[in-house]
Amino acid sequence: MQDPKDTFLWRNRVALAGGVLLLLAAHMLSSGVRQGNTLARPQGLVAEALRPFQAASARMAHSAGDLFHHYFRLAHIAQDNERLREELAQLNQRQARMVELELENRRLAELLDLKEAIDLKMVAADVIGSDATGMARTLILSQGSSAGLQPGMGVIATGGVVGKLIAASRSASRVMLLNDHNCAVDAFVQRSRARGIVSGVADDGVIMRYVERTADIKVGDAVVTSGLDGVFPRGLLIGSVSAIERKGPGLFLNIAIRPAADLRNLEQVLVIVQAPPHLADSGTS
Amino acid sequence: MLFAVATMVALWLQTEVRLWLPAGAVFPDLVLILVVDLGLKQHNALSPALAFAIGYATDAFSGTHLGLNAFMMTLIFLLSYELSRHVWVTGKLIEPLTVALADLLNRLGVMAITGGLATVTNIKSSTMRLLVVQALITAGAALLIFALLDAGKRALRLPVRVAAE
Repeated sequence: MQDPKDTFLWRNRVALAGGVLLLLAAHMLSSGVRQGNTLARPQGLVAEALRPFQAASARMAHSAGDLFHHYFRLAHIAQDNERLREELAQLNQRQARMVELELENRRLAELLDLKEAIDLKMVAADVIGSDATGMARTLILSQGSSAGLQPGMGVIATGGVVGKLIAASRSASRVMLLNDHNCAVDAFVQRSRARGIVSGVADDGVIMRYVERTADIKVGDAVVTSGLDGVFPRGLLIGSVSAIERKGPGLFLNIAIRPAADLRNLEQVLVIVQAPPHLADSGTS
Repeated sequence: MLFAVATMVALWLQTEVRLWLPAGAVFPDLVLILVVDLGLKQHNALSPALAFAIGYATDAFSGTHLGLNAFMMTLIFLLSYELSRHVWVTGKLIEPLTVALADLLNRLGVMAITGGLATVTNIKSSTMRLLVVQALITAGAALLIFALLDAGKRALRLPVRVAAE
């Protein structure tokens, strides 16, 4: 009788198991598995497992930043009086903390102003993590489905539009930033009303696509949300036109956008949890 | 268990450290190093499942397509596994070289899948340089991670290498 360990299946079990899993991953990828799907559920558990560590380390990083700053401030002070130095250190630490609190207060006040200016229900969230591989432009937020957050919701900050939520577990969520090449926001140029789609590019940066070549657009023009995508209300600032490429063939212009929100240094954001009022396409172009 | 803990620590570091690094700074892909270690040294039926799980866990913290990292990590595991079976001889230089190639393949693969093949063929030279630097940094970090993993395996009385029968 043939030894079971001498069969083709046994000898190639690693490669075969890998192949089956590769097909499963390809299936997940091609079928576009969404939140709520059986295949997506364990992902939420993974996000939840790491969330407390991320929130704690985000707080620790703030504190470490304070201490680092504090150390250099003290370096030049006379070394002879230990008691005074300790006292000063404590005061400096307290002061640094107060400055940090004041800055946080200012940021939150600005967010509150923004929240009041936009008459929609919003939830504030802290940024607690970045994209794990750096290959996509995503951030991890400290609020999740328990706060009413769901994939597809719009995310804004004091500067302007930040991106869209793509995943939400119970107490954490992930936002795809405006400069990710999979992000798309329906927008128009405020001055000339020329419409297009704002999205990221694979290398880096943000562009406005599908703008007619004849459109009246100048560098510095403000680009705002159209409200037609049902994610953002009309008139939210996305950024300004930084360059226009009129050369070359094609029906559309290539327009580079400078985002209004500082996408690389976000600490707090607002998630629009209430759907904006539906706007009929009025044909603004 | 060792790989589960290592994956969680790697993901935690990658999501947190990257957040505080200045714009444009590169950080080694620690998760990818774990998968290459599996492919090169752990030739048992559980290894592809681990590689898939590592990629799936990465999907919770990265990318916009669920399954993308699971796919790439399983693919990288299989390639490392096949290379170690048929081509490679083990060595201190070969392992980080495999990691560097795997990192490049991973990034170009992700770009091709999410942005289309044209994204890769029209890649800017500055972006390609950045990808190469990223691959070299990941390869450099691999030396340390491989040593830590081997030490962890010895501490847990696990074999450093498991060859297929």
